[in-house]
Amino acid sequence: MGLSSANTVVNEGFQLCVFDLRRGQQEGQELDKILFFHPADLPFSTQLSVIGLSEGLITFTRLFKGIAFVSCRIFSPEAACEVIEAEKHSHVFHQAEQDIWMVMVVDKSKESDAIWRIDALRRVLKEVHSLFVMFHGSIRSLLDKEPSGGLVRPHLYNFIMDYLSAFHKRSPWDICCCDFLVGKKIKLPSFRDCLKERGTVQMLTVGREAALEVQSLVRVLESCAGNTPCYSLVLFQDLLVSTTLSPDDTINLFTYAVLRLAPHALLSRASSWSYLRKGNSASQIAAASVLASSGPVSEQFYGSRDTSPHGGEHSHHVVRPLQLNKWYKGTDGFLVTDIWGPEVGIMVSATPTVWLQQTDEKMYLCVYQHKSLTLILLFPISSILNGEQGLSVVKQQIVENASLKMLKVEEKLSKGWGGENAYHVGGYRYLLVDGDRNVSRASPPGKVTTLTKVNIDPAEEGFAKRNKSKGTNQLESLISLSNLREEVDLEKSREIWDDPGHDKDLEICIRAKNNAWVIARTTRGKELYMVLEKANETLLFASDAVEKFSNRYCSGAFSLD
Amino acid sequence: MFGKASSSQLSVSLGGSGALSHVYIQHPPLRCSIPGSKGLFYDDGNKLILSATSDQVFSWKTVPFASHAAPTSDSISEGPVLSIRYSLDSKFLAIQRSNHEIQFWDRETGETFSQTYRSETESILGFFWTDCPKCDIVIVKTSGMELFSYDPESKSLHLVETKRMNVSWYVYTHESRLILLASGMQCKSFTGFQLSSAGIIRLPKFEMAMAKSEANNKPVLAAEDVHIITVYGRIYCLQVDRIAMLLHPYRFYRDAVVQQGSLPIYSNKIAISVVDNVLLVHQVDAKVVILYDIFADSRAPISAPLPLLLRGFPKASSSSSRTGSKDTDSSEANDMSDHETIIYGDNWIFLVPDLICDVANRLLWKIHLDLEAISASSSEVPSVLDFLQRRKLEANKAKQLCLVVVRTVILERRPVSMVTRAIDVLVTSYSNSIKTGSYFKGIKSEKAPTPSVSSMNISTSVVDESIRREDALGKSIKHGSSSGVENESLNRSPDFPVSDPEENVRLENSNDHHSLGTKADTENFTAGETSQSEVQKLSSQSQLVGPSSSPLNASISENLESQAISASISPDEMYSFVFASVEEEMAGDPAYFVAIVVEFLRSCNVERIKVHPNIYVLTIQLLARHERYAELGLFIINKILEPSKEVALQLLESGRQNIQTRKLGLDMLRQLSLHHDYVLLLVQDGYYLEALRYARKNKVTTVRPSLFLEAAFVSADPQHLAAVLRFFSDFIPGFKNTADHTTYCRILNEMNSSIAA
Repeated sequence: MGLSSANTVVNEGFQLCVFDLRRGQQEGQELDKILFFHPADLPFSTQLSVIGLSEGLITFTRLFKGIAFVSCRIFSPEAACEVIEAEKHSHVFHQAEQDIWMVMVVDKSKESDAIWRIDALRRVLKEVHSLFVMFHGSIRSLLDKEPSGGLVRPHLYNFIMDYLSAFHKRSPWDICCCDFLVGKKIKLPSFRDCLKERGTVQMLTVGREAALEVQSLVRVLESCAGNTPCYSLVLFQDLLVSTTLSPDDTINLFTYAVLRLAPHALLSRASSWSYLRKGNSASQIAAASVLASSGPVSEQFYGSRDTSPHGGEHSHHVVRPLQLNKWYKGTDGFLVTDIWGPEVGIMVSATPTVWLQQTDEKMYLCVYQHKSLTLILLFPISSILNGEQGLSVVKQQIVENASLKMLKVEEKLSKGWGGENAYHVGGYRYLLVDGDRNVSRASPPGKVTTLTKVNIDPAEEGFAKRNKSKGTNQLESLISLSNLREEVDLEKSREIWDDPGHDKDLEICIRAKNNAWVIARTTRGKELYMVLEKANETLLFASDAVEKFSNRYCSGAFSLD
Repeated sequence: MFGKASSSQLSVSLGGSGALSHVYIQHPPLRCSIPGSKGLFYDDGNKLILSATSDQVFSWKTVPFASHAAPTSDSISEGPVLSIRYSLDSKFLAIQRSNHEIQFWDRETGETFSQTYRSETESILGFFWTDCPKCDIVIVKTSGMELFSYDPESKSLHLVETKRMNVSWYVYTHESRLILLASGMQCKSFTGFQLSSAGIIRLPKFEMAMAKSEANNKPVLAAEDVHIITVYGRIYCLQVDRIAMLLHPYRFYRDAVVQQGSLPIYSNKIAISVVDNVLLVHQVDAKVVILYDIFADSRAPISAPLPLLLRGFPKASSSSSRTGSKDTDSSEANDMSDHETIIYGDNWIFLVPDLICDVANRLLWKIHLDLEAISASSSEVPSVLDFLQRRKLEANKAKQLCLVVVRTVILERRPVSMVTRAIDVLVTSYSNSIKTGSYFKGIKSEKAPTPSVSSMNISTSVVDESIRREDALGKSIKHGSSSGVENESLNRSPDFPVSDPEENVRLENSNDHHSLGTKADTENFTAGETSQSEVQKLSSQSQLVGPSSSPLNASISENLESQAISASISPDEMYSFVFASVEEEMAGDPAYFVAIVVEFLRSCNVERIKVHPNIYVLTIQLLARHERYAELGLFIINKILEPSKEVALQLLESGRQNIQTRKLGLDMLRQLSLHHDYVLLLVQDGYYLEALRYARKNKVTTVRPSLFLEAAFVSADPQHLAAVLRFFSDFIPGFKNTADHTTYCRILNEMNSSIAA
């Protein structure tokens, strides 16, 4: 355990646990509750105390159904708590499933990076759980399958660790999909990401003609499967173009696709299949080192303590869909992975499968990629006869019938695409969220960073040079926006409590330091956040700016008066 | 009404002939037997069938084709008759008396004069009248071609021009205005002229290909081996190569003659007909006919060779009638001689373009296409539709067939790709007809007032009368094909239930169209005459033209005329006769149907055709019914379903179960600037404050204040109610004196006092 002390330092300020309230109710069996704990090398007593506290709070707040607790936000009829702010920590709660809770404990510190928005943290919890369910089914079902927890623990452990460790970095400026594990420190979404909304999809804006072509392609794909129902998701770069899935499933698959399947996600490893087959890439080593460092304990808890029939058999296969660099492009255009393979190294790998929330059905996941175009197709396992063979027939059909259309669509979309900064609006740094459709659009990350930095590029329009002496204030606007969003979140949850089903209009304009306007507008389920730096000081200017933006880019949704 | 219409359309297809044939002749034929007749002649300039006795000429009009047509007669002097032709204005009658003499009658005055040649070295091969501005009549002799004009002063012919050359024989058709003069040992060198109203065009000399049978035996091309045909306004010449058993089509351009592939033949005797731009190659010995649609590059026949069918012959089966009908005692059958129905008998002469003359029995048959049979014979739906869309003669029938075909393939859930191609065909055809304006012509006549059913018979006779009237005016060339169409539809009418409103509309159309015809057609005619360039533009849209060569056009007027009604199907008709009816019958998963609709929209978008919102509404209903709201949202956001008030209202309706969809509808109303509806709906949803703000901003004053007040009252918030009251008091002059104001002031007071208490 020599390393563990170092590790505690490393992971200081961050704990994440998953526990089941139904388990370990008897004295001496409390450990049974814990399904996952990070960092794993914390002494069990510490782990238990964290969980105990959380459990206590949950039970306690449940007693007060309907009554607002000091700092407990009550948001659902269940009246469970969302967050508890202590002096040094914030406890963020997420009830993933009935009686299964995820709790994230983050340290409050004076460091500016540690300014986060609770809702953003909760969305992390939500996301990791949704993805987990998509790949493995619900935690409860895994528990039911293996009441000892021998199945769910390794799954959770691998999955969450992959999730935390493996978010790879896209570009130096891109803090959206930041890796949570920078170096050895888990980096949580901070105020820097307040112009981002996790758990939403980003859509490509297409013209009618292109949209019709895309739909035509989608229908052809559907028909390739014959009579089997088929769902599809079409992405261009990492933007959604079309979906036939329910909103929740769309979000999950979209998230996964952006993380692992989109062209840029594959790009990093280009055609290095042979190199990959050796099994280790740099990032995996990094991840592995974290795992290794917590080795003894995790081994003990997640492996050896396993009392299942498979007891002690560590090697039983745990599918790790979030592992990095495991997808590569096959010769037929379909993406292939060995993640689902029965054994690593066998050439014919099993086809990936996912669970659909909408139908609660297990589906084959097929991904086809042509240049920037990614097609994700889902076929119900039950309706494809002969398993893999049947699937390969369908795949062949797709290549035969649809490849011409795909070429056409790809060409059309790339012609119409404005590039990485297509959705940049000069002078604005914005986030637009459509809560009804779970769609968001934001200023490109590269542009948002110009807010946080001393101006690198003097030519950068709209945002004139920042005074370097005001260095401390450089992050001011984003921090203000982050705080403002916190307020809006609070207001929103109150609204849900007050009058469910009735959206309220909300408009807040704050004059921040740096001559900046920080603005939040919500109306009928849509939210708009923006930062206008170096802006005129009159409020009229601010509301004009919103009006203009609304008319141009939101078809007037925010210009109601 | 739709249901009714569709059922009648189905009966069209099902009620089609069960016999295996694609082409038929309809009994009864036109009987042109006159006692003492010396022979039958065909005047293709005036489309008359002529029968000459020793002192009279009887003529029957073949257009419109009617079996009961009565002949008109002219007296002539006695003598041999080699051929007879009326002048195009019907004022003169010309009779070729011998190889050296042609005699002319002025029908008004009865005066005669003759054109005679004394030379022994040359003889007259034939003559024809022309509407070429330079001359009135062309006489073809072995020594060349002479062009004459009639000089009313001297009452004689005046030689305009002579084209000297050796001529073995010639072929001419009036519809193409093209004359081909054959010369040479094998008679395979040709000189061509087009003598159209635009002037004389001399075609380049060309040779026809002839296969050699043996080394020294050179076959000679005969006049009956060369056929000039006109399809889609293009002129072709078909040459029969008996040795190679091939039929060579040559296409005529102003500056070139191009051979375009060759068609196999299976008989030593070949006859050619053209019905509604479809080429019929009668394999006379084999007693079958092969159909070609020389539109695309493909030279494949439309369908397999099948016999010609005699339809409507009063016997149980037409096949037995071929062998004779001695044992029938029905008076009708006795009426006819038993050998008159021999199909492809030796007595048959095929007249341009679509008539068959049974010389021995003095009968004239008109050839018809059996569109139902043709469309039923092929499983290649897109090409069938393509074929049907090009049919002009029975445009309405073709249109109904197209609708039936499309509906069937959708109901049968044929592969989307195939249905897509079928839809593309229809949409492209519609787009073309819009561009050429023919669709609107059809519409115009369809929009004609529709009197009651009982007027049908009366108006039928009106048609006949007007035709006769036109005859008298001598515009007989003109009304040719248009009245052909009408006649067709009239003939067809017994097939349809009389109660069917659609049919009545159609019948009335034709009448209306026709009674207008005399005047309008003349206008068309002159317009067509003067602006050839325009016509070329029209026809070039449907042609595959070599870049440099401008194609020769056939008779301009006919070209215009034939486009009057087109088989193209508008998106509205697609909706009501295909999508709406199909959707009713298709239960279950909407994926297939949505796929078809998407393809239809895509196709329309490519052709830039506007689609009526009802198809969008239908799609929304369908998606909403199957709770595919995510896709629905995508369709709306990407404007695949274009915004309109109908769409917005349907979204609101379908959004009762799905708030997101409802919001899409609201947003659409706002984006369409339908302020009143938007405000009203906001109030209904309880967003009365937002509604007020919006109303003030967009100056909506049409929503009653009481609605806002009521909504505010329901929300039980006295502050809001007060705000709303105040708003109206401030912005609506005189509001304080209304009953609403007093009522809600009282309510507000009550609310306040109850809170205070």
